[in-house]
Amino acid sequence: MKKILVVDDEAIVRTSCDRTLTPEGYDVTLTASGKEGIACLEKETFALVLLDLKMPDMDGMEVLSKIKENWPETKVVMVTGYSTVDTAVQALRVGAYNFIEKPFTPDTLLKAVQEVFGPSD
Amino acid sequence: MKNILRNPDKSIAAKLIIAIGLLMIILSLIFWYAILQKQEKDVLSIATKYGRSFVNFTKASTRRSMLIFDREETQRVLDTLSTPEGVQGVQIYDHRGNIVFSSKSEKAGNSVDRTSIACTGCHSNSESGELLTETRKLFVHRDEKGKTSLHMVESILNAPECSTAACHAHPESPEILGFVKADLSLAVLDEALLKQGLALTAYVIMFVLAVSIFLGIILYKIVSKPVNELVQGMEKVSGGNLENTVQVRSDDEIGKLARTFNSMIRDLKGARDQRERWTQTLEVEIEKKTDEIQKTHANLMQTEKLASLGRMAAGVAHEINNPLTGVVTFAHLLKKRFPPESTESQDLDIIIEQSERCAKIIKNLLTFARATPSEKGKVSINEVLNRTIFMVQNQAKFHHIKFNPDFADKQFVVVGDGSQFQQIFLNMFINAADAMNGRGNITIRTRGALENEKPYVEIEFTDEGCGIKEEDMPKLFEPFFTTKPVGKGTGLGLSVSHGIVKHLGGHIKVKSTIGKGTSFFVRLPLES
Ligand code: HEC
Ligand SMILES: Nc1ncnc2c1ncn2[C@@H]1O[C@H](COP(=O)(O)OP(=O)(O)OP(=O)(O)O)[C@@H](O)[C@H]1O
Ligand SMILES: [Mg+2]
Repeated sequence: MKKILVVDDEAIVRTSCDRTLTPEGYDVTLTASGKEGIACLEKETFALVLLDLKMPDMDGMEVLSKIKENWPETKVVMVTGYSTVDTAVQALRVGAYNFIEKPFTPDTLLKAVQEVFGPSD
Repeated sequence: MKNILRNPDKSIAAKLIIAIGLLMIILSLIFWYAILQKQEKDVLSIATKYGRSFVNFTKASTRRSMLIFDREETQRVLDTLSTPEGVQGVQIYDHRGNIVFSSKSEKAGNSVDRTSIACTGCHSNSESGELLTETRKLFVHRDEKGKTSLHMVESILNAPECSTAACHAHPESPEILGFVKADLSLAVLDEALLKQGLALTAYVIMFVLAVSIFLGIILYKIVSKPVNELVQGMEKVSGGNLENTVQVRSDDEIGKLARTFNSMIRDLKGARDQRERWTQTLEVEIEKKTDEIQKTHANLMQTEKLASLGRMAAGVAHEINNPLTGVVTFAHLLKKRFPPESTESQDLDIIIEQSERCAKIIKNLLTFARATPSEKGKVSINEVLNRTIFMVQNQAKFHHIKFNPDFADKQFVVVGDGSQFQQIFLNMFINAADAMNGRGNITIRTRGALENEKPYVEIEFTDEGCGIKEEDMPKLFEPFFTTKPVGKGTGLGLSVSHGIVKHLGGHIKVKSTIGKGTSFFVRLPLES
């Protein structure tokens, strides 16, 4: 099973990811904050985390470094607004697999996910 | 001139005039006295000459009648001789002092002693009877009325005829028989002398006066007036008036003084003018600086405002991205449910398209709000222009402005920072919109150009605004030059643009007609 964890404080973004990825056969878990995300990761193993860069409680970069520390196998794709592209580039250096810009289309999201898992069968 | 007369103490000329006048008077007096003396002497010598001839004539005339001892004849001759005016009397004395004959008959028979004028010419005094070594024959006598008379004494010597005469005989022994004395009045000569003296006095006075006046005028012209002018000039200068110069009238010391004084004034004036100019420049400079400080302050406030505004815009834009993601995703999901040619699918395409447009606007907004450090790279001018136009079109300020892009087919690529170019173009658009009060056309043209055989791109921005005043033209690119109200324009737009363009080896030119519009031409060197 291709397990994906979505961490984003915006409900509409979470739903968009769920509605785009679930029909494509991915197992999607949704969380609204960095803390929640870490808690989920401690319970289960995820192949991919879609991580928002800008969140109120815990910064995306912080969450990223924690993930890379504890679950190095898990791949992370950052989701950013345009103004934070620089930060996204920095995230790549820290160990993120890729990043996509908001607002994204279902196609962009799928492409980015497929890149991680390889084309679905 | 009045001054001199009023205050002789304080005028060189007056002192000189007085001194020279006094000298003149003294010299004239001496001269006058000498002349009078000389005249008197001359007159006297002439009178003496005539007196002597008169006495000799008397002697000669009476000689014959005395020899024949004709007393009446002698008396008659004497009377005749004493008739003319001026002859007071003629007497003949014997050596004992008896008057033998006299023109005034009552005197005859009287005798005189040796103190009489007739005797004192040879005998010094009566007692001793001593004789003078040198005999005097002439006596000038002045009576108490001031009348002068001349007395001449001539001795009658014993001659051989006298002792041998038939009638009477003198002894041979005494050498001197007697004397003829003539009293002559000098009143006429006195009068003439007086007249001449008066005339001379008048001449002298006139001469002194004339010389004094002449001297006075000369002194006034040569000394007093120029010195006075000089003094007045100096007084004016000490009063602070440096506009005056003193007229140079001559080449003498005073002229030299005036010239020196003038040159001193000129120097003084130059120094004062320079000081004034400095003061003025200083004032202007201070005013300018104060202005600049005020503007910088306003600019700082503006920048601060802009920065916080930018931060806010960035935050807002970022937030909008989230709902936009939802809109885009669900529109796509929905679209999959309809066949591609269906109306629903096409409607959804519009939603997607417009959402993407929103995303673009936000992207532009963020580009502008972000203060990215200048990074040089290859920049497509057309692209930046389009992006800038697209961005401003959505702003309220440009709602009634029509953009007319008229680009050359060629894509111009320039090395530089895209966001800086955007800044330049944006300022051009804002300036144009301001000049047109928010209504009108902005035409943007691009074209290639050659300058010194190097390729350039020229971007033209033409508006239909109020135009730029001729006097403002040179100040246009100065920092903080603005005609816009404080808070609206900082006057940095063109100066920053100019700096950027110049740094890249380009330049900006302006053509403007008041009331018709303005064209800015930005030239940038093309990437070679
Ligand atoms: C021209 C010059 C002269 C005058 C003027 C003259 N005498 Fe003489 N008198 C002489 C001489 C010279 C003698 C000397 C006697 C001589 O030897 O002839 C002299 C002698 C005398 C003597 C004589 C004295 C003596 O001691 O014998 C008497 C007096 C005298 N004079 C009186 C007079 C009286 C008076 C007068 C005036 C009226 C006068 N004389 C005017 C020249 C003058
Ligand atoms: N297109 C134009 N038409 C008429 N006047 C212009 C035009 N462009 C510039 N100016 C004049 O030049 C001045 C300077 O322009 P500049 O862009 O340097 O400063 P600003 O627009 O006043 O302020 P800022 O750009 O800093 O907000 C303006 O105030 C305006 O008077
Ligand atoms: Mg401007």
